[in-house]
Amino acid sequence: MKPPVETLDSAGSRALPFFGALAFLVVLAQASIVVQARPQDLITGIHGMADILRRAWPPDIAKLPDMLWPAVETVDIGVFGTAFGVLFALPLAVLAARNTTPARPVYFLARGVVAFARAVPDLVWALVFVTAVGLGPFPGGLAITVHSVGMLGRLFAEVIEDMDMGPVEALTTTGASRVQIFSHAVVPGVLPSLLGIALYRLDENIRSSLVLGFVGAGGLGFQLLSAMNLFQYQTVSLLLLITFVLVMAAERMSAALRRYIG
Amino acid sequence: MAEALIRTTGVGLRYPTGRLALEGIDLSVSAGELVVVLGPNGSGKSTLLRCIAGILRPTSGKIEVAGQEISSLVGRSLSNARMALGMIFQHPCLVRRRSVLANVLTGTLGRHRTLATALGKLPASEESQGLRCLDEVGLRNLARQRASTLSGGQAQRVSIARALAQRPRALLADEPVASLDPEAAQEIMRLLRRLSREDGLAVLCVLHQPEIACCYADRVVGLRDGRVMFDDQAANLPSCQVAALYERLAA
Repeated sequence: MKPPVETLDSAGSRALPFFGALAFLVVLAQASIVVQARPQDLITGIHGMADILRRAWPPDIAKLPDMLWPAVETVDIGVFGTAFGVLFALPLAVLAARNTTPARPVYFLARGVVAFARAVPDLVWALVFVTAVGLGPFPGGLAITVHSVGMLGRLFAEVIEDMDMGPVEALTTTGASRVQIFSHAVVPGVLPSLLGIALYRLDENIRSSLVLGFVGAGGLGFQLLSAMNLFQYQTVSLLLLITFVLVMAAERMSAALRRYIG
Repeated sequence: MAEALIRTTGVGLRYPTGRLALEGIDLSVSAGELVVVLGPNGSGKSTLLRCIAGILRPTSGKIEVAGQEISSLVGRSLSNARMALGMIFQHPCLVRRRSVLANVLTGTLGRHRTLATALGKLPASEESQGLRCLDEVGLRNLARQRASTLSGGQAQRVSIARALAQRPRALLADEPVASLDPEAAQEIMRLLRRLSREDGLAVLCVLHQPEIACCYADRVVGLRDGRVMFDDQAANLPSCQVAALYERLAA
C-alpha cells in the first residue's frame, strides 16, 4: 500500500517554491541597491583597467631578488601561525569537546575562548598586534596564531566529539590509566583527521598572511601596498605573479600531504 | 565446587531518574565455568555486566571479582582490580589504524604504567606474550596486519586476544556474537568455551540467542525486568522457561 502523499500535493506546498523564489529575488534586489551597484560604471571603467594592465606589463623581473625575502616572510608567517595555532588549539579542543572535557564550566570557558578567537577576523587581530608589538612580520604571525586557534579549536573539538569511543571504553576495562587511554586510544583515532585539518589551515594561513601585510604585518602584502601607493604597476604585477605561484604551491603541497595521510 | 571468581550479592541499580534497572541479583561464576545471561531488551543484562566491569556502580549489594570487592573501589585501585577482568564488547573496539599485535599489546598497559607507555609507546617486552595470545585465538599469522583489514569475526577474536593479554581470571562478554554471521558466531563461542575449560577462566556472557546459549553454556541465567527469573544447568533447562522469558506482557 502506498503511503499517503497528500501533504506534498496540496496547493500550499506547490505555492512554496514560488514564494521562495520571490523572497530570494527581493533579497537580491535590496542587496544590489545597498551596495550601489552601477553596471554602467563597470563598462566605462574598462578603459582605466586596460590602462593599468598596459602599464603593469611586463612584470619587473629585475626586482625579483628583492622580493624573495618578503616571500619567505609571508610563507613563514603562515607556518608560524599554523604551528602555534595547533599547539594552543589542541589542549583547548580537548577541553571544548563534550566527551573529553573534565567539567561543564571548563567546557563553556574553552568554547568561549575558541569562539572569540574565531569571531574576530585575522585582519583585526593583525591591527591589534601591530599596535602592541610594532610593524613587521611578528604581529602577522601572532594574528594568524590567534585566528587559527579559533578555527582549529572548533574543528578539532568536532573531530574529538565524533571519535569512536569503543577503544576508549575497551582500554578502560583493561585497567589502563587515563593518560594511557588518551595516548593509545584517543590519539591514534583522531590523529589523521587532525593532521589533515592542520594542513588545510596552513594553506589558508599562507594566503591570509599576504593580506595581513596590508596593515603593516610584513611580507609580500606590505610590498604590494607600497608598490600600489607609488604607482609601480610593473612591480605590482611581479608581486601578483609570485603570490599566484606561492598560493598554488601551498595548495598543491597541502593537498598532496593530506592524500598521503588519508 | 571450584572457587567463584565472579560473585554478586543482592546487586541493585536504581538510576537517578528513579527507574530500577537491577534488583537483588545473586550470581556466581566459578573458574572453568561458562555462564550465559539471556533476557529481552531492557532486561538489564548489559547493565549487570557493566556493573561487574566497574563501569557502572550499583546502588546496593556487592560485587566480588577474584575475591576482591570491586564495587567500592575508585581510581588506581579500581584500575588494578579491573586487570583481573577481561571485557569483550559487541563491537571489537579495535584501534583501526594500528596493527593487530599493537591492539593486543594495549591489553597489557595496566601492568606497564611508565612514562614511555603514557606517551604512546607499547611495552616491547610483552611482544612474545602478545603473540602467544594471538596463538590462542588462531591469528598469529595476522599479527603485523592493520586492524582495519580484518573481517568481523577476526576482529572479535583479536579483541579476545587483547583481553587475554591482560592475564585476566575472568572474561565478561557483552553480546560478543550479535554482529557476526552464524559461522563466525559459533567460532567465537567455541573459543570462549575452550578458554573456560582449558585455561580455567570464569566466563560470563550476555547473549540474545537461546539456541547458542544452550549449546555452549554450562549454566544459563534468565533475566527479566532487572531480576533473575531462573538460573539452571544448560543441560536440563526447560525450553518453556526460556520462552516465558521473552513473552510479551499482555498490555
